[in-house]
Amino acid sequence: MSNEKKSIGKLLLGKWDTKTIVGTAIGAALFAVLMNFGGIRVFTNTNLSSAMIVVAVVAGLFGPLPAALSAGLGNVLADLIGGWGFWFDWSIGNFVMGFFVGLLPLYGARIEDGIFEVKHIIGYVICVVLGNLIGFGVVTPIMTYLFYSHELTITWAQAFTALVSNAIVLIVVGVPVLILLAKRNAKKTNLSAEN
Amino acid sequence: MDLSKRLFINIIPGNTFLDKLTGKTKVRMFLALIVLLIATWDIRIVVPVLVLGIVGLVSIKPNWRLIAGLMGFVALMNLFNLFLIWIVSPDYGDEIVGGSTLLFQFTARYSLSAETLWLFMVRFVKFISSFLVSLVFIQSITPSEMAAGLYAIKVPYKVATMVSIAFRYIPEISRDFSDIKISMQARGMELDPKKTTLIERLKQNVVILVPLIIVSFDRVSNIANAMDLRGYGRGKTRTYYSEHEETPNDRKMKVFYILVALAAVAVIAGRVFFPAQHEVWAPWI
Repeated sequence: MSNEKKSIGKLLLGKWDTKTIVGTAIGAALFAVLMNFGGIRVFTNTNLSSAMIVVAVVAGLFGPLPAALSAGLGNVLADLIGGWGFWFDWSIGNFVMGFFVGLLPLYGARIEDGIFEVKHIIGYVICVVLGNLIGFGVVTPIMTYLFYSHELTITWAQAFTALVSNAIVLIVVGVPVLILLAKRNAKKTNLSAEN
Repeated sequence: MDLSKRLFINIIPGNTFLDKLTGKTKVRMFLALIVLLIATWDIRIVVPVLVLGIVGLVSIKPNWRLIAGLMGFVALMNLFNLFLIWIVSPDYGDEIVGGSTLLFQFTARYSLSAETLWLFMVRFVKFISSFLVSLVFIQSITPSEMAAGLYAIKVPYKVATMVSIAFRYIPEISRDFSDIKISMQARGMELDPKKTTLIERLKQNVVILVPLIIVSFDRVSNIANAMDLRGYGRGKTRTYYSEHEETPNDRKMKVFYILVALAAVAVIAGRVFFPAQHEVWAPWI
């Protein structure tokens, strides 16, 4: 398939064509809907959220920036229809987390070409944990402090549950979904590229 | 509550005062109000916004039966959230409002002070008004007006398109979601949270999710092809068919949203440069 070397910057940005835009948009819509109706409540405004799987899927199909935008935008839209107020600190946290989850191509996993092996799974798990730690353990509390100041105590409790539950969903459900996606794509490419 | 009804959006612009404004005005007005609402914890600012939200809601002549159900749901959810916060930190409001006037003592740990109650009240009113503002916004804007409005505040047009497509497909996807859920129930899946364990429910979520994700992403290539065929993404800039000339009402509302934005800036600047001793104002302190 694509044998040409891509620079890291290009990998992070992803292919920015119409399909990516629509895919990211649909991902954001799915994220918003699932955040509202597809979760199992753990703590106030924090769910064992199936929305996270959407992030993994968008990450696998389109790359880091689309995954980040899907998660961030999806969270804003979820706030818009949810009625629990607007929490841009969390949207930004989700954005960062989505970016980390989407780093798949950086360590060689290419879902669209069916490449997703054990070392990629390990890379994915590390990225998920890192992304959740940085997104919800660092960025969200900082943003909460800047935007809402005294909500910080609650954010800590929420951030902890969100961190754990998101990581669980992303790993326990996300890995099989990504393997499935990779398998599905691998079947399509039984042709080898000619040089 | 029926999801697809709850997430009703307009695709054709209506004919009330707010509907007839340009997308630019709607988006800016919404952003100004939301930023103001996020920035402030002062009931003297929140209540006027609440009144504005109610006026806006009345002016767009919504389906009241639907709105009543929705408001009830949101109010209950917010009350429940407040209850959970109280469970975690019963003296939540004391430091923030500044004072501890005991009202009720339940156990050694669980008491309710007037300050906490006041803070919860402010929080409740704040979230209800922010929900009202977003409800009026959703009900009075169409997806392409939203894209036009975002583009007018210098959001890159590809991101603006993204937002409008996502907004457009939320009702569709939630309809699919409830369809899949119902058909899974018809096949004998137990969805009652009382009768299933956590692991079981997680599994069910996945079972519902897989078809939903496949159905949703199947759409992507259809939509993308349709857009490509119409030459989407060729130019560096974009104009919007839905965006009409500014009407006199738009110019009037411009004054209004600039005032709201200034108020928001003033509130934020006030909090940054002159932090009050206690963050939330209460009449008796």
